Amino acid sequence: MKVTLAMKPAAKWFIPIEAESIVPKNFLSGTDLRVWRGNRELRLDEVFSVSVEGDADRAEDVEVVLSGDTFRLKRVGEYLDAGKITVLGGIGMHCGNFMSGGTIEIHGNADGWLGREMAGGTIVCRGDAADYCASGYRGGRKGMKGGTVEVFGRAGDFLAESLAGGTVIVHGDAGDMTGAEMRGGTLVVHGDCSRPAANMKDGSCYVYGTARGMIPTFKKIGTVQHDGRTLIRFSGDLANRGKGNLFVKGYEYLD
Amino acid sequence: MTELLVKNACVIDPLRGINGETMDIAIRDGKIVEEVSDAAEVIDARGMLTLPGGVDSHTHICGTKVNFGRYMSPEDMRAGRTPRRGAMHATSGYSVPTTYGNSYRYSVMGYTTLLEGAMAPLEARHTHEEFTYTPLQDTMANTLFDGNWAILEAIRDGDVKRVAAIIAWTLKAVKGFGVKLTNPGGTEAWQWGKNVSCIRDPVPYFEVTPAEIIRSIVEANELLHLPHSVHLHCNNLGTPGNYSCTLGSFGLIPDLNEKRQTLYATHVQFHAYGGSEWKDFCSKSEPIARFVDMRPQIVMDMGQVMFGRTTTMTADGPMEFNLYRLHHEKWSNHDVELETGSGIIPVIYRRKNLVNSIMWAIGLELALLTKSPWQCLLSTDNPNGAPFVKYPEIIGLLMSKRYRDAEFATVHPDTESRVPLPAIERELDWHEIAVMTRAGAARALGIQDLGKGHLAPGADADVAIYPLKIDEVDPSAEYQKVIDAFSRTEYTIKRGRVVARRGECLVHGSNATLWVAPKVSDGYDMGKDPDFIEKFDRYYTVRMSNYPVQEEYVTRNRRIETEAEL
Amino acid sequence: MIVKDAVCPFCGCLCDDIEVEVEEGRVVAVTNACELGTTKFMGEKRMKNPILRVGDEWKDITYDEAVKYAADMLLAAERPLLYGWSGTHGEAQCVGVHMAELIHGVIDNTSSVCHGPSILAIQEVGHPGCTLGVVKNRADLVIYWGSNPIDAHPRHLSRYTRYAEGFFLENAFRDRKVIVVDVRKTESANIADEFIKIRPGGDYAVLSALRAIVQGKADTIPRTVAGVTREQLVRVANLCKSAKFGAVYFGLGLTMTQGKYKNIRNAIELVSELSRHTKFTISAMRGHYNVYGSNEVNTWMTGYPFGIDFSRGIAFYNPGETTAVDILARKECDAALIVGSDPAAHFPRKCLEHLAEIPVVQLDPYPNATTAFCNVQIPVAVTGIDAEGTAYRMDGVPIRTRRVLSSDYLSDEEVLARMYALMQEARER
Ligand SMILES: [Zn+2]
Repeated sequence: MKVTLAMKPAAKWFIPIEAESIVPKNFLSGTDLRVWRGNRELRLDEVFSVSVEGDADRAEDVEVVLSGDTFRLKRVGEYLDAGKITVLGGIGMHCGNFMSGGTIEIHGNADGWLGREMAGGTIVCRGDAADYCASGYRGGRKGMKGGTVEVFGRAGDFLAESLAGGTVIVHGDAGDMTGAEMRGGTLVVHGDCSRPAANMKDGSCYVYGTARGMIPTFKKIGTVQHDGRTLIRFSGDLANRGKGNLFVKGYEYLD
Repeated sequence: MTELLVKNACVIDPLRGINGETMDIAIRDGKIVEEVSDAAEVIDARGMLTLPGGVDSHTHICGTKVNFGRYMSPEDMRAGRTPRRGAMHATSGYSVPTTYGNSYRYSVMGYTTLLEGAMAPLEARHTHEEFTYTPLQDTMANTLFDGNWAILEAIRDGDVKRVAAIIAWTLKAVKGFGVKLTNPGGTEAWQWGKNVSCIRDPVPYFEVTPAEIIRSIVEANELLHLPHSVHLHCNNLGTPGNYSCTLGSFGLIPDLNEKRQTLYATHVQFHAYGGSEWKDFCSKSEPIARFVDMRPQIVMDMGQVMFGRTTTMTADGPMEFNLYRLHHEKWSNHDVELETGSGIIPVIYRRKNLVNSIMWAIGLELALLTKSPWQCLLSTDNPNGAPFVKYPEIIGLLMSKRYRDAEFATVHPDTESRVPLPAIERELDWHEIAVMTRAGAARALGIQDLGKGHLAPGADADVAIYPLKIDEVDPSAEYQKVIDAFSRTEYTIKRGRVVARRGECLVHGSNATLWVAPKVSDGYDMGKDPDFIEKFDRYYTVRMSNYPVQEEYVTRNRRIETEAEL
Repeated sequence: MIVKDAVCPFCGCLCDDIEVEVEEGRVVAVTNACELGTTKFMGEKRMKNPILRVGDEWKDITYDEAVKYAADMLLAAERPLLYGWSGTHGEAQCVGVHMAELIHGVIDNTSSVCHGPSILAIQEVGHPGCTLGVVKNRADLVIYWGSNPIDAHPRHLSRYTRYAEGFFLENAFRDRKVIVVDVRKTESANIADEFIKIRPGGDYAVLSALRAIVQGKADTIPRTVAGVTREQLVRVANLCKSAKFGAVYFGLGLTMTQGKYKNIRNAIELVSELSRHTKFTISAMRGHYNVYGSNEVNTWMTGYPFGIDFSRGIAFYNPGETTAVDILARKECDAALIVGSDPAAHFPRKCLEHLAEIPVVQLDPYPNATTAFCNVQIPVAVTGIDAEGTAYRMDGVPIRTRRVLSSDYLSDEEVLARMYALMQEARER
């Protein structure tokens, strides 16, 4: 089954819409779903032109395609456990919160908190991801626990904050405090980033570019070969009695 | 005039010696009366279990420390959120809910009176502000005196009357209810990052021992004729082998009061530990219970631990730091100048953890081994041992050996060799539960004469009607029914109005604050004592004139005057 | 008439020893207050009555009309923003929360542009702190990090630290060491015993280095960290460890620079580390006199200190999303009520662009920068001058501000309560 949701133009286009009901399994029983614009509850078809092709018995066989100006659409794919969501443009905050399975593919950019507290499944973002991609929640001890997030563009600040499990790959550069408070999992940044793995406890962080503002409390262990690259291996963060691994191609201290 | 008649109630009212009688309860203008007119609104209780409104004699629901527990825990907040609905405001939180969250959840469980376990005098205004937003219960605050400089000096000088005078002035100033000692002396030492090890260990600089503090303040408390006794959180909380320190503290207490205990020892589970380190940690509930059995002057509450996530918060700063070093979770500490302190850390009690399993057993053992339920009240030291919403499960455990065995089978396997629980056959009955959750708590707090904890004519019309018939339910086998019933009243009546019905709160409420103003002679009025004033001005950072809590902060002021022997 | 022990409604120190002389309904003299506080007490040129914008003109309207305008505006909005709150008393803040809950709006206070990051850090690692008097009486080491008390909290030094008497200090001025950490040599640095000059953006690295040194791992630290030599770091770490009681006070130099809440988190973790060796505490130098009170009120009523979004009925909290600057910059609200603050004076231009496009009502005694963005402004009494109510000092100590003179102005609480009553009526209908 393929559900296509095309965003309709709206007068108050600037008020964000929360649409956690947009997950494949909900469409198994029809399209009578609700979303919220600010404090107003709306029917799905007040916000989208809805069309359905084919049918399905299981969420795995449902694909939801979102088109139009969806960059203010929040919480799409929250608690996703099976099926696929394809976003043709950009997507708003908290896409794929808490997801445990299934796939989300975003052709444009993703706003903040993409895949927050994710436990499984796959998110692919072809554009850039804003701050707090694959991170945790305020005050929480653990961020993402499992699954994969792959960003082909750049990522913002606090990428994979408190990462506890799973894999995060960013093909472009990442921002400041990349992998802060990591306690597990694997983070790979193909480009440059700033202050990676600050206060890390455990896990592995790879920076194939340059780590700017390198945290001074990592201990240099030596060089390693990784995927055909020569990387410098550090252990830390000593300040946090951490036993994590940080691999960088190059680094600069703020001295 | 508003009248209400509760018909066909199966009443257990221990303070009046009523145990399961089917009767009517007449209510007029918020009070229990002998009879009402035919115009009275009628509630048919249809034989359901009907008790005086619940009284929690030790809980942490309002004030600086509690609010800091919320402030630092957005992850706890999102665990229990409800929107505004009818008369109910929005709520958030699980282990440290918002004030409305506390109030509604307690009300739904039939609780109508709450004692906040610890209020720092300097920050009393905060506690009272939160009381205002706890609309469905009458509230009162235990006031912290464990590290009060003026009192430590008076004790050093051997002047018990001055100790009493300082307590009198402070209670009146901050609109406090009872005298609380948390790790006496230890909180002052902690302002140097130190602690006292047990009751004979002197406090740095002041050179008085916890034993001296406890004894003097107990004496002072009785000189003031306060409704409640001294409320003690013993030294050395949570450390292996601390039971001997607890027994030592209990042993200091003479029997000074005919109407009630002379010492209320709180969350004794945390103070009933054997062993010399975590490796040989074990239960010492038996010697504690035996000791209390022989001493009517002591009442304790359980401080039961239940498995799951919660937040620990106490005025015991050093203990919280030790917990932090153990768990390396987030840690907050807040020392209060010239008075006391507090600490907060989140914890998870796990069944798979041996120490946690033993703690869980000890609380139950205290309740089951202490002969008189009047001497061991039900508490979790909310939220330290568990959030209060776990009370119904605790009631289930106390009433059913079968339930205990089923739970015991899920805890750490080595627990059996460290605790007496599996061998205890006792199952508490309805009457005993009523004592532990209202009558006994009201008597221990000294508020039965104020119309709390019973349903005699003249009492406050605070009534809890539970959807359960005691002659049709065997709690030993059908413990789930007991848990369900105590989780959600059919009706909770507060001051003569139905405030909660089947899980919904129906009115915004009009709660009262109970506080104590001891009357002392002019010579013992600390407000006029030059030395007291001089030190206050020099070392506090708040002016003495700005320290007392103004009338504006007290909702439906219930001022209790006592005649002090000063 | 002289009012003694009045409470200064300016900064988070909430000094409560002020003497205010009042003659004919005006403050004529102020004793004990700093310059900032004195100016506030002496403040003049209040707005006389509510005003409504009609085209390019202001029209005088009644309180009833103004209140009705605000209530209608908020009821009609799909995502109303209720912002400010740090410049008013707690009782008014409580009404604000009830209002946000009723109309499913967003309520946020000025923390989101000052110490919001400190709160986020505390939510990650907690907060070992104490009241100001504990520091005054005990601290033999005080560190001001990224804060310049001489400018922003003038009496902090004299009441609690550098120039204060302390019970446990024989000669407080001599026995108490003061360290200032900043990116430039401030006036406060001039009165310090030790000054640590950090390269901009280098606070985090320096804090990490100190933590490692306190743990005895100095050998892995580079020779200089963000412009600070390893020797100085080791010396400072030793000073901290050998203090009997150390206190760190941090300001916006730490919260609002690169890394924001991670800086504060690192500072707190340094203090927790030092607590294994000696007594150490840390506290934020809160700005507005009652910004902390607003955090407290929000917390006991909603569970969260700031940035609370009730759009969906339940409270949702996510600073960076539900905070005023972020909402305005992203144009995510359609009406705003401003109470006890002046966002137009502090917010980025992008935010103001949206503020100019939506209806705005402000409660404020004076015309201010935000007035230009208002559709309606309602003058109110000033808390601590002609209104009284609760405020929370930077260390959490609640103090009731005094009314030093009487006026005909309604308090924030009274105006808001009227608004709330209208809204309740409308919602019940
Ligand atoms: Zn307690």
